[in-house]
Amino acid sequence: MDIDGDDFFTNLDRPGRAVNNNAFQERLRQAPRDEEDAAIPDVPPFMLEEEEETPLQQLIRHWMNERHAPDILSNEGELLAGLLDHIRSQSETVQLLRTDPSSSEEEHFRIMLVQTEVERVKFIVRSYLRTRLFKIEKFARYIMTNPEVQQRLSESEVDHARRFAQLTDQHFYHAVLQSLPETQQTLDDQPPFVPSMITEPDKTRGVFVLARQDCPPVRLPDGTALEMRKGHISLTPYSVVEQLITRGEVELV
Amino acid sequence: MALPQSLRTSVTPLELELIASEQLVEIVPLITMEKTAFISGAYGPLRPPAKCRIPLWMATNLKLKKKCHIVPPEWLSADFLQERLAKETSRPEFSKLPLRFAEIAKVILDVASDDVQNADKIKSLLKDLREARQAKSRDGLQKLDHSELSLPNLCSMEINEIRPFFIQAMGILTQLDREPSAE
Repeated sequence: MDIDGDDFFTNLDRPGRAVNNNAFQERLRQAPRDEEDAAIPDVPPFMLEEEEETPLQQLIRHWMNERHAPDILSNEGELLAGLLDHIRSQSETVQLLRTDPSSSEEEHFRIMLVQTEVERVKFIVRSYLRTRLFKIEKFARYIMTNPEVQQRLSESEVDHARRFAQLTDQHFYHAVLQSLPETQQTLDDQPPFVPSMITEPDKTRGVFVLARQDCPPVRLPDGTALEMRKGHISLTPYSVVEQLITRGEVELV
Repeated sequence: MALPQSLRTSVTPLELELIASEQLVEIVPLITMEKTAFISGAYGPLRPPAKCRIPLWMATNLKLKKKCHIVPPEWLSADFLQERLAKETSRPEFSKLPLRFAEIAKVILDVASDDVQNADKIKSLLKDLREARQAKSRDGLQKLDHSELSLPNLCSMEINEIRPFFIQAMGILTQLDREPSAE
């Protein structure tokens, strides 16, 4: 197999990622280098915000949002598909170079680094999906009774929720409910003064939010308004910032 | 179960470390490597002794194989931390530090303490800072109500530390607030 070893990984850069690489180049240029005497910025470099979010950083943000939010958030199918494609192409390259006996020691080292990163990304993808799976199973009945919530799920996720809800219903029926009087056989009673039988996400639960940009004012439960500037950190009920999370103006930390 | 019980209410410090390890640090490489495309971006080329910026996880990996020196970020110096500690103890608010400073400092001091000047001094300063800030976040509990608590300049590791208790306390305050109106 004839591989131009030196440029192989470099050539993997696909057109779709040009923007991010530019951002990276930008950062590189800002970084003080030996051969060029870069002007020292007023703000220490570590206080500078990253201008462009890479797909991986986006996934990390959605992963953390999902982990902290009590409700199930919108499915990031497109982002996930892009990253999975990227993982696949990196793994294929690694396989290809591994079976090539002519690759140098430096090449092996690069393979090892690429593989390490692939494993890191896979971990994040898995953890993200497992978090969603956990919420889908916990709120299966709630999801099936709310078409609005179903829109936030992918097709296969809705499918899973449907089957899971059916299975638990059947199980409860066969185990207990069938021997009860008919009026007590339902699973979705909403008797007064006791919590509903359907598990719903507790949107009043507190979350820690970090504003990614200046946000429009939001209304707090005590009636006052909260206007978050970029970088502001707050502990507040989830329902207050629900919209801001959907729009990506804040993230949960 | 899809998600182990311990991961349902919060994230673990190790997960925070994983996230922080995506941030870029400067290194002085001891090996050459061509520019390489990774999922998070393209890094390199490494040409000793020119400095280069790569993600922290990669720097850790190289450092453990003795293939680079990590250049600690500017804030990871005894002078800077000393100044922050002085601010921290003299003023009521939290002083400004990078969001993930605790994780990054830990990783760098774990694998590359020989690249950091005054590593022992820095460790004790970080500990003092942590204690001073911890006391402040505990005081913050007094101001907690059912609607909002602003915590400017709090860091991700500190948030993670106070999360279970603060969220539970807020939940109880929410319940107390809701009850009178329900009657």
